[in-house]
Amino acid sequence: MNQKIILYLCLLAFGIAAPFLFPAFKLQISIMWILVVLSLTWDVQGGQMGYNTFGNIMFFGLGMYICSSFQIGLFFPLAEWTASGGEKTFVHTPTQFFQGFFIGLILAAIIPAIVAAIIGYGILGLRGHYFAICTLGLGIAAGEFAGGIELVGAGQGMTSPPWPKGIGDTELRSEFFYYICFLLMVFTFLFLRWAYSTRFGLVLNAIRDNEDKAEAMGINTMRYKITGWVVSAFFVGMAGGLMGNMIGYIEPVETAFAGRTFGVFMVLMAILGGKGTLWGPVIGAIAFHIFKEGFWTFFLGWQYVALGALIVVVVIFFPEGIMGWLREKYPERFGEIIDEEDRKAQVELK
Amino acid sequence: MDLIKKTLSILSVFIFSIALALPSNAKVEGDTIILGAAVSLTGKYSTNGEHTKNGYNMAVDRINDMGGVTVGGKSYKFDIIYYDDESDSSRAAQLAERLIKQDGVHYMLGPYSSGLTKAMAPVTEENKIPMVEANGASRSLFTKGYKYLFAVLSAANQYLEVAIDLAVEKNGGNPVNIAMAFEQDAFSQDVRIGVVEAAERTGSTITIDDKLPKELNDMAATLAKVKATKPDVLVVSGHSKGALTAIRQISEMQVDVPMLAMTHCDASKLAKQHGKNSEYALCAAQWHKTLSYSDEFFGDGAQYDKEFTEIYGYAPPYQAAESSAALLVYKAAFEKADSLDKDKIRDALAQTDMQTFYGNIKFSDTGQNIAKPMVLFQVRCEGDVCANRVVAPTKWASHELVHPIPSWSSR
Repeated sequence: MNQKIILYLCLLAFGIAAPFLFPAFKLQISIMWILVVLSLTWDVQGGQMGYNTFGNIMFFGLGMYICSSFQIGLFFPLAEWTASGGEKTFVHTPTQFFQGFFIGLILAAIIPAIVAAIIGYGILGLRGHYFAICTLGLGIAAGEFAGGIELVGAGQGMTSPPWPKGIGDTELRSEFFYYICFLLMVFTFLFLRWAYSTRFGLVLNAIRDNEDKAEAMGINTMRYKITGWVVSAFFVGMAGGLMGNMIGYIEPVETAFAGRTFGVFMVLMAILGGKGTLWGPVIGAIAFHIFKEGFWTFFLGWQYVALGALIVVVVIFFPEGIMGWLREKYPERFGEIIDEEDRKAQVELK
Repeated sequence: MDLIKKTLSILSVFIFSIALALPSNAKVEGDTIILGAAVSLTGKYSTNGEHTKNGYNMAVDRINDMGGVTVGGKSYKFDIIYYDDESDSSRAAQLAERLIKQDGVHYMLGPYSSGLTKAMAPVTEENKIPMVEANGASRSLFTKGYKYLFAVLSAANQYLEVAIDLAVEKNGGNPVNIAMAFEQDAFSQDVRIGVVEAAERTGSTITIDDKLPKELNDMAATLAKVKATKPDVLVVSGHSKGALTAIRQISEMQVDVPMLAMTHCDASKLAKQHGKNSEYALCAAQWHKTLSYSDEFFGDGAQYDKEFTEIYGYAPPYQAAESSAALLVYKAAFEKADSLDKDKIRDALAQTDMQTFYGNIKFSDTGQNIAKPMVLFQVRCEGDVCANRVVAPTKWASHELVHPIPSWSSR
């Protein structure tokens, strides 16, 4: 137990010190924490519950638009901001900026969560491929839909409020967003760690293993499935709000409802790390981000080929992901007790 | 202790991999001035990204061959760090930050397309890094009060205004009916604004106003409406893919319309790819090789065209020409500032007033090039060979505009 605490403290210390150790990489590491959040929350459905969703990106984009819209709309007319390109005519004071940011961020979590509950009620009755295809459609539709709303710039995209003038430079801005991202990641992790240790976690696993049996045992699976999705949407929405502020420019299909990039990445990362485990998505996201950025630097123009090759290697050699592979190799470290006699007996039986 | 060991090993892998790409102060290395650029080598803008990159490279090689840039009595060479933004705006913004923070770049070149430029501009602006861009024409880039953004090209809303004026003129000065279809992206939507304004100015009516999805592959629905309503002008804009799709389907569906105005005809090599089917299409362009501008590096447009073709094996579309011009602007600014300081460079850029083979360049306070008009050309075929011929403005027109377009049955 002590070891675990030391481990957590080490990681926490690293997370806090990172912007000073690698000042040039603040944005990179911030995005890495966002990716960890995305992959952790995808794993609630994809890993723990056995429902492969491609629609979580919808909450990401929704959060992004909601956060920026409120940041602007609380103080200035939103339509004029998007029409004029904003920053020139309207300038946030520091107080306005931070008030807007935190209110926006909270709403960016709550509204997607409500949307998840409503949509979830409608579609979580679908299972397997049907659910996957349906959520895929939702993600794409959301992007096209956002691309038609003039209030948020439609296909032109919108700019999120720039960092207010007069309180520090771009370094301070990067540090501010870095720590918010890090906090979000830590909070998401701890929340899921706690949630998986409760009855909720057990029910999710029961749904994955055999939903009919779980129902037959008297569990209202629908309620748990919706709750799971609401939890994911809450954190993903917040991550989206943060991302929109960090990037500074929101494009409906490429930044917000980016199914082709983040939408696919979140699935890949969870699978790479080992789905259905707590640490898998975290390790998967970190490994994925490092490989991706490395490929992007060293294989200019061929990065997706390199990334594709990596995925093929993972699927063939580590079908259970990094965590699954470690677990198979060192089961005792995962608290699994191996009875050598019994194992031998089983091998002989085969 | 195992867990701690494991943590440490994970951390060390992490640190090692970050160290692989550790920042170096790369803005000037020895006698090389490093410029940073993220262009689209993959994704939907990859064709135009390639044109942009070739344009940049051609100018870098030429400037370096001709003695480089002289700053403070010392001669420097240009070099460019490239990244692939995958035609994705969130990627482009990250790469801008990466070029500035990790690679230490102090002078940026623009990406291809307005959307990506819009994504990168907030980053360069916030870091006070000058960016000379050659492929972001969206008007909204110039309404935000950006101080470090300089565009060598004319704004997007100017692209097809002239075409509407031309249609009205051909209609005896009477208002026309306009059908239009624009892709849902920053650039095309700005072209749309220009057309809408021109329509209001001339009292013309917009009968069809369609928005087309990104990755445009099909616009049959719009064309069916055009066939039914018979407008005087059909305006289509959706980058290269949009131009190709439009011509393919217009010829397949035999849509007759007196005037067809588009963008990106030369970037998509329309005349070559669709030959006679693309004949009479009217296209807005930033540059054409027959224009009579010149400079000491590339001579005039015709010479640039010839040399570019020799090196890259295809005729330069205006996207390549304007990208080359961006480097000429940078060279002039470095020499004018006689310093490597980014703020002095920025001030020198703001005072730019020069002629290049691509056209005159002079920036307004908002960073927009106000010294260069757009040209319109029409695809014309002689036998089976089709080429772009300039029809407006009259100063450079080599051919008379054919109007109305002959119907498909008579072609």
